[in-house]
Amino acid sequence: MNTTIMLFLLQDGITNGAIYALLGLALVLVFAVTRVILIPQGEFVTYGALTYASLASGQMPGTAKLALAMGIVAFAFDLFVARKALHGRLIVRSVLTNIVLPAIVLAVTLYFAGQKPPVAVCIALSLLIVAMIGLFLYRIAFQPLAHTSVLVLLIASVGVHLALQGLGLLFFGAEGQRGPAVLSGAFTAGSLRFTGQSLTVYGITIAFIVGLWLFFGLTLYGKALRATAVNRLGARLAGIRTTLSGQIAFLLASVIGALSGIMIVPITTLYYDSGFLIGLKGFVAAIIGGLVSYPLTAVAALFVGIVEAFSSFYASNYKEVIVFMLLIPVLLLRSLAAPAVEEEKD
Amino acid sequence: MSALLSVTDAHVAYGKVEAVRSVGLDVGENQIVTIVGANGAGKTTLLSAIMGILPLKGRVAFAGQDLARLDIEDRVAMGLGLVPEHRELFVTMNVEDNLELGAFRIERSKAKASMEQVYTLFPRLKERRKQLAGTLSGGEQQMLAMGRALMGAPKLLMLDEPSLGLAPIIVADIFRIITELRASGVSVLLVEQNAQAALKIADQAYVMELGEFVLSGKASDIAANEAVAASYLGFQHEGGSVI
Repeated sequence: MNTTIMLFLLQDGITNGAIYALLGLALVLVFAVTRVILIPQGEFVTYGALTYASLASGQMPGTAKLALAMGIVAFAFDLFVARKALHGRLIVRSVLTNIVLPAIVLAVTLYFAGQKPPVAVCIALSLLIVAMIGLFLYRIAFQPLAHTSVLVLLIASVGVHLALQGLGLLFFGAEGQRGPAVLSGAFTAGSLRFTGQSLTVYGITIAFIVGLWLFFGLTLYGKALRATAVNRLGARLAGIRTTLSGQIAFLLASVIGALSGIMIVPITTLYYDSGFLIGLKGFVAAIIGGLVSYPLTAVAALFVGIVEAFSSFYASNYKEVIVFMLLIPVLLLRSLAAPAVEEEKD
Repeated sequence: MSALLSVTDAHVAYGKVEAVRSVGLDVGENQIVTIVGANGAGKTTLLSAIMGILPLKGRVAFAGQDLARLDIEDRVAMGLGLVPEHRELFVTMNVEDNLELGAFRIERSKAKASMEQVYTLFPRLKERRKQLAGTLSGGEQQMLAMGRALMGAPKLLMLDEPSLGLAPIIVADIFRIITELRASGVSVLLVEQNAQAALKIADQAYVMELGEFVLSGKASDIAANEAVAASYLGFQHEGGSVI
């Protein structure tokens, strides 16, 4: 292997790794706040990517309708829970977020669907749609289970993943799609060629990590999220609703997922089920970070990306095997280093 | 005077085991009320149930409103605060962030003033405001837990064993602060094993045994009661034990 190939692989690995880093961070965030291992993170990626690609090619994405349908279910859940103490403000707020908002987005999507809108509009709509799906998903599938064990939440998570994947097939078909580049053009530095798209990936990843860092460090809601992760009862005693923290976590996770998808889909063809594997690689990074450490997860994600790039060069058939094998030594080391943990009982 | 907190015929059970049976309790405004009793009498269980952490059968009214359907967070917003025995601090966050989050349901402008008040009450916290909560000493953690609860501007603060495991000099400090709270208009419901100190500052007192109140009245009368003295205050009378 010469230096050019090595640099090329390294560049490729870092581009992918940056995306795994974002997904890994989202997984750690959701787990810390809600104890949900978010397997459907990959579906947020596909939904974001394919909604964007569909809109850009002048098709109507089914996800916009899904968002409204889920919103209606979420509204019914809200009504059912509050049935004994209904009051006007609660209902109005629930109607606005669960029905009016997705209905407006659906209308805007329908308006733009036939006419190949500009890239910025496609991105904004895709992010909005997937963000709402994430928010309603928490309301429907996870909020009612919030008090149960990690295992129950995991099973629900698997169920949601399968359901969303099936719906993805329904909406987008079995054919793969590609979307337009967010930033076109390219330049060459030495023997390396940088495309506008890979620069977008770096830029957005760095911006998001800095943004999250500021959000968690400086804002009251960011701190409330951290507080919920550190001590759930303490947070409730301070008046911080677990539900609110869960909603923010899912909102962030779905936006991160959708954004990752939008960044990948101009580089790789994505299918309705591609997200799962991409999400799993973010998961490998999150596990290396112990599902708690954000910096370790980010570094591990870059490592996963680079290992993947090199293994696809040397042994492309075993690419996935090699990446997932990274987990074994990590788990082994962690289990040796950590004292035996008793089954969680809350 | 109408009671700020009024508990009637409360039962709390862990599965089939009733830990609190048919308990009634009133806390008036500007009052310190204490519940004394041995380990395992059900004091902590009762406080947790009043806060909404455990399900309670019976009636709990706070500031004239029935709490039955309200979550912990709503009770906090109404002005009911609890400093639990284990303090439940955000250990990986610094003192100031812990306090700031205590005022999560309060307007930002008022939160600033509350923080100054908490720092006046606990100057030690101001010195340590950038230190992580988990690295504070036990006494400082207790102060932080009380400070965080006070940031929510409670009308009634429930304290669960605030003196547990602390050095005598800090215990004295904490009891002094509790009386200062009453002077500033915050009522206190105090659960203590250190019955002597608690009865000294309290207005009303309840004695709890095996999930029930066996005695109640003015704190000074309870302190003078021989049976109570024998069991909880460390004076031995012959055959005077009530347990």
